[in-house]
Amino acid sequence: MNFAERMLHIDRRIIFLVIGVCTLLPLLYPVGLAIKVSPEVRGVHDYIEALPEGSVFLLSMDYDPASKPELYPQAVALLRQAFRKNLRVIGMTLWLPGTGLADQVMTQVAREMGKVSGKDYVFLGWSPGSGSLIINMGQDLYKAFPTDYYGQPTRELAVLKGTQTLRDVNYVVSLAAGTSGIETWYVYGKDKYKFELGGGCTGVIAPGLYPLLRSGQINGLIGGLRGAAEYEVLIGQKERAVAGMDAQSATHFAIIVLVILCNVFYLLIRTSRKQGEAR
Amino acid sequence: MIFLRRQLPLVITFVMGVVFAAQYYVPHPRSELMLTEVTKWLQIIGIFALVLGVTSLFHIHAVKIRRKEPGWGYSLVLYAGIFGTIAAGFSYSSTASQWVNGKETINGIMTAFGWIYLNMMVPLQGSMFALLAFFIASAAYRSFRARSREAALLLIAAVIVMMGRVPLGEMLLPASGDVTQWILNVLNASVRRAILIGISLGAVALSLKIIFGIERAYLGGGKE
Repeated sequence: MNFAERMLHIDRRIIFLVIGVCTLLPLLYPVGLAIKVSPEVRGVHDYIEALPEGSVFLLSMDYDPASKPELYPQAVALLRQAFRKNLRVIGMTLWLPGTGLADQVMTQVAREMGKVSGKDYVFLGWSPGSGSLIINMGQDLYKAFPTDYYGQPTRELAVLKGTQTLRDVNYVVSLAAGTSGIETWYVYGKDKYKFELGGGCTGVIAPGLYPLLRSGQINGLIGGLRGAAEYEVLIGQKERAVAGMDAQSATHFAIIVLVILCNVFYLLIRTSRKQGEAR
Repeated sequence: MIFLRRQLPLVITFVMGVVFAAQYYVPHPRSELMLTEVTKWLQIIGIFALVLGVTSLFHIHAVKIRRKEPGWGYSLVLYAGIFGTIAAGFSYSSTASQWVNGKETINGIMTAFGWIYLNMMVPLQGSMFALLAFFIASAAYRSFRARSREAALLLIAAVIVMMGRVPLGEMLLPASGDVTQWILNVLNASVRRAILIGISLGAVALSLKIIFGIERAYLGGGKE
């Protein structure tokens, strides 16, 4: 086996080590590269920025712990902006395993921004049904969620005053890790109840949502950790997502180098085989 | 019996399918009220599906344990995990002086259920997902080869997008960011739209077949 063949069959633990080092080192020694903001992320940010004080903003955190690294920073950044703008925030989730994370992020950011549950924000929690839940909320929010996550009757909450259905919500953002998510909110929600919809998602599913973005069905899309980092730049609070971009840069380049090397070795093997056959 | 197993479900499917397809276009308050009621029924049926799923899971693993099939130890771990979490969720929190009722925190105090969720489920799920990065890198090295012109084109596009989506790539090659945006917004969006339209038309065709009783796989059982 010549050098190229040995390199193509290299022990994968070496590749794992390379990726591990490329992820760890930039987190320990950050560089702080400049992040350019894309129009799709700016779409969500600018819409929230333009909402008048007291507008109703619904954040549906449709993810589970597996997607926390990408979507948790998005949720933190969105909530900080919404609370800074003194919007009335409604939090909920369509994913049962994500309920604890959603509760944690809302409570944490609200405490940080000095907001009070029931008066400035409400966390509705989870209810079964996905699409049918959205339809229920569109018909009557109080029937869909008679109480909030903490057992408080929703009809008595000051934050929900005047919000009978989804038609009364000014902006909905779904942070989605898959189905049920942004498409569910559009098909069962925005199409019928005509609220404005934005999205945040993991990097893996972001390309699949570009048709909705291009057609105007969603007015913005925060894609993956990169999107979260762009949002942190926009709100002026650079934290986890921006810190993660250095690691992501290093890892992407490691994979690019590995792919280029793999193709160089493959071409060398192909060339030597052709030369061998020609002889 | 045949009527209950075959004809009646077909009739219900047909009536409900036609009524609720029409309901979408009827804005009358009674139509909206009907929709509200039926979506509540859907949520209740969803909960029954959860019970069915959990029961099925218990049954499968109980058989594995009884027969001592390979990996039956993991089935015991599954049982311990499920029952332990259920017990924690229904327990009484002495620090918060109330029943946990499936809450992770009560008045800011973490419950046993919350501890299991935050210290076991969150790191375990996060780790499983994080492992993917390593396997993707290894798979990319072994299989991402320019064996043909199309594969080479895909490779070049992938490298440009990987560079354009990170700050280091945009710094080294400023055009990669704009080219990446063009690839995502033009090439990717148009192809995905075509796929979405195809899937949607297929879903419409399947739904019509189910409503009109042509597709009966959901009834289960053998042919009539």
